Amino acid sequence: MSDEHGHHHDEHGHHHPRPASAVELRARALEALLAERGLVSTDAIDAVVELYEHDVGPQNGARVVARAWVDEAYRRRLLTDATAAIAELGFGGAEGENMVVVANAPAVHNMIVCTLCSCYPWPVLGLPPNWYKSAPYRARAVSEPRSVLAEFGVSLADGVEVRVWDSSAEIRYLVLPLRPAGTDGWSEAELAAIVTRDCMIGTALPAVPAGVR
Amino acid sequence: MGGMHGFGPVLEPGGELPYHEAWEARVFAIHMLVGLEGLGAGPGGRAVREEMEPSAYLGASYYERWLFSAERRLERKGTIAPGDVERMIERLATGEPVPSHRDAAMAERALGRLRSSPPIGPPPAGARFGPGDRVRVRRMHPPGHTRCPRYVRGATGVVEAVRGADRLPDRAVYGEPAEPEAVYAVALRSQELWGEGAGEPFTVALDVYESYLEPA
Repeated sequence: MSDEHGHHHDEHGHHHPRPASAVELRARALEALLAERGLVSTDAIDAVVELYEHDVGPQNGARVVARAWVDEAYRRRLLTDATAAIAELGFGGAEGENMVVVANAPAVHNMIVCTLCSCYPWPVLGLPPNWYKSAPYRARAVSEPRSVLAEFGVSLADGVEVRVWDSSAEIRYLVLPLRPAGTDGWSEAELAAIVTRDCMIGTALPAVPAGVR
Repeated sequence: MGGMHGFGPVLEPGGELPYHEAWEARVFAIHMLVGLEGLGAGPGGRAVREEMEPSAYLGASYYERWLFSAERRLERKGTIAPGDVERMIERLATGEPVPSHRDAAMAERALGRLRSSPPIGPPPAGARFGPGDRVRVRRMHPPGHTRCPRYVRGATGVVEAVRGADRLPDRAVYGEPAEPEAVYAVALRSQELWGEGAGEPFTVALDVYESYLEPA
């Protein structure tokens, strides 16, 4: 995530100093004000930022999915009490206190949204991408999910029921995608590597990269 | 925002990233720390962001809204006063050194609390509805914070599960009394929400507080 971030700011190959926007100046001033008064420490801010850039992200959710794909008993626990099953792998905390995992099936495709704001299962997916928090996704996921999926390159067969989960209360959702064909005998780590963030939001399907096995 | 037209495509340059700019990550962390360290007062972040004038809300970037709610919560506690931020902007503009503050214990506290956070309560014994029951989302028009999206009000659906018990945010976020009540997963058909002719039918499921529901 931090690499992508660095790339974003260096997208022209080098830094163009640009004037800070009014809101950026305001954000800097608030941080400075709270630091000067000894109320919010600079290292605490760094620690919270780094927690969600390095330790907590979709790599956690990918491990949960891969485990469910290879261990039927784990899968059952995950679909019965997701919070506890996710905690078995060491993941939990803020915005993951009340987890529900929804499983895709050959005739069911799930996707998650928060039309009210940006609720998202942080312990297993990290912080949401900008598009998830954007007005277009919040508006359209519940009214035209198939056209949103098409933008992501996902085309579902006719007759597949789309179930959109709007995270309106304290429950946070994770999609358990279908294990793709051609992955027999793969290790959990190999499986986890093909489970992307969007697969677990429901805006992508896991794919076996061309040339693998 | 559910169902609003005209916003355009979902995917835009930079959309894959959690932040558009580096300052946004700092605002995220400051907002969390204001809560964790008890520096703010009044309703939590989202309810405050919803106080923004609607055109300002829609025109603001995501973390601009978070900055707004962090400042309002700090002011309501008296941690900062209106004008403090503007005065600091002016001081920094003169080239004054940027203050910093070290407190490793605060960092540890924050990480500990972010990694361990309590769930809502188990389903209550006296839940009014059960799986399979048909329910209607009440017609309502609350002026403040609510977790009942406009697009489901008046619609009829089916209870799929009782998720647990939680205090009604419409009251709880303002410090008003609210006993824990049942929260249900309710499935609604797309035709019920958007009418016929909206393409292949689908289902929207969401979590609904008992106060928002009536039998159908």
